[in-house]
Amino acid sequence: MFKKQKDSQTYGPIVTKKDLHKANYRWLMSVETFNYETQQGASVAYALSPILRKIYKNDDDYVEALDNHFQYYNTQPWLAAIVLGACVAMEEKQGLAAKNAINDFKVGTMGPLAGIGDSLLMTMIPTIMGSIAAYMALEGNPFGIILWGILIAIIFFLRMHCFEFGYRQGSKVLVEYGDKINYLTEAASVLGITVVGSLIGSVISVTSPLKFQFGKVSMPIQPMLDKIMPELIPAILVWVAYKLLKSKKMSMTWVILLFIVIAMFGAAFGFLK
Amino acid sequence: MHFTILQIILLTLLAFLKHVDYYGIPMLFVNYPVFWGLFTGFVMGDVKTGLLVGGTVQLMSLGVAGFGGSSVPDYGTTAIIATAFGASMGKSAGLAIGLPVGMLGVQLDVVVKILNGFVAKKAKSYADAREFKKMSAVTWLGPLLFGLSAAIPVFISVTLGQSAVNFILQNMPKWFMTGLTIAGEMLPAVGIAMLLNYMPTGKLVNYLLIGFFLTAFLKVPIIGAAIIGFAAAFAAYKQAEKEGQRVSTSSETAAGIGEDE
Repeated sequence: MFKKQKDSQTYGPIVTKKDLHKANYRWLMSVETFNYETQQGASVAYALSPILRKIYKNDDDYVEALDNHFQYYNTQPWLAAIVLGACVAMEEKQGLAAKNAINDFKVGTMGPLAGIGDSLLMTMIPTIMGSIAAYMALEGNPFGIILWGILIAIIFFLRMHCFEFGYRQGSKVLVEYGDKINYLTEAASVLGITVVGSLIGSVISVTSPLKFQFGKVSMPIQPMLDKIMPELIPAILVWVAYKLLKSKKMSMTWVILLFIVIAMFGAAFGFLK
Repeated sequence: MHFTILQIILLTLLAFLKHVDYYGIPMLFVNYPVFWGLFTGFVMGDVKTGLLVGGTVQLMSLGVAGFGGSSVPDYGTTAIIATAFGASMGKSAGLAIGLPVGMLGVQLDVVVKILNGFVAKKAKSYADAREFKKMSAVTWLGPLLFGLSAAIPVFISVTLGQSAVNFILQNMPKWFMTGLTIAGEMLPAVGIAMLLNYMPTGKLVNYLLIGFFLTAFLKVPIIGAAIIGFAAAFAAYKQAEKEGQRVSTSSETAAGIGEDE
């Protein structure tokens, strides 16, 4: 993905590789200024300000460029670095004349980037690596955590090159890789859903200690449930939570609280274990 | 239950760093409980409890992630508090203290995001006033506030809360403690449902069934199910690529016909 080219050709007259490298680090500010009005806007301005200062020697132009980047911005921050790198390239070439083009580009890519980033990077990886690491940790084995840590380090290394990558590719970056990214997202969904299905059958360990009493004979209910289908109660719980989230539009926090209340009742009246 | 001053300082610092990391700097362990449980285990000198609690809370939090600025329970803080108390009192007592504090994280998160509104406005007004150094400096209030939003609840829990925690635990009814343990086993269902809600579940429900069958019926470990999933994903990628090429070539020929007319 990162083609090596001669620096003199790839970097413009103003912005150097060092500037972009620094911007990668400043963009770590990403979600730290998150607020309900401009979301990540202040962090974008913070990350780009040294580069913008180099591009705009005049204070008026500099402030105008900064104000532009202080506006509403919100997407997955790791991938956003690619878009912001591309913005730097546009801004360096055309200056404030590119202001509207930059805004259109930033706004237009927010949705797709959040879609890919949130599902792939923020959900799929923590689900797969998290369940493996957690399972091993429960047995006192830290290997799963170490494995996940290595993946985190690799991703961090790639993240620290995103500004350079975006800058070199320019605004065509998403057009060029758009198809590949779509296929990748689709494939990742297949992997993700398979793993999620496997989680239903393994991570929820609730059973019922209820017994039917026929005179002197008592019959525990759990072996009967297991004959219908193993892990029946977990499957029902997931189905109920899914329905509440999807069709009743209940928020996740409320569903969590509801489940805690059910668990309390289950403990008090002895129908769950 | 008694913590040394050094432990209190380290636990508070750990919670602070956890939240600064969570929101961007440098966003490595994004509030993943299994890591913070382990780190707390190092602080407490009890790695075994750290792994056990971290693993338990990680499973509870699967699929829980704050997208687009939504606020979710702070399971990382739950892991820190539950490991700190769990080292001497056991996992379920630790969770009984850690879980409610973690749920409180939703409200604290909202408070910080409201306060950050003033931080962002201030930064912009410094920019407009051409005080560029102050503009950069004031931005750092953001990570400071987020760090405090985790550090303060942890600090209160491990200091002022100590006698209160003992009192609560001694007077807590049995069903409450058992209930929390059951809740810990049930909560992964909510996270899983949340994941299904985000993903194209309707279109790919067959893979959901395959995954469930592997673990529920065949008792395959999750990593084994992930390998099957990877094989299916590989096939899906090839298929999508093939279809994509067919679509693009057919649209090219369609454009060609258009030109002829």
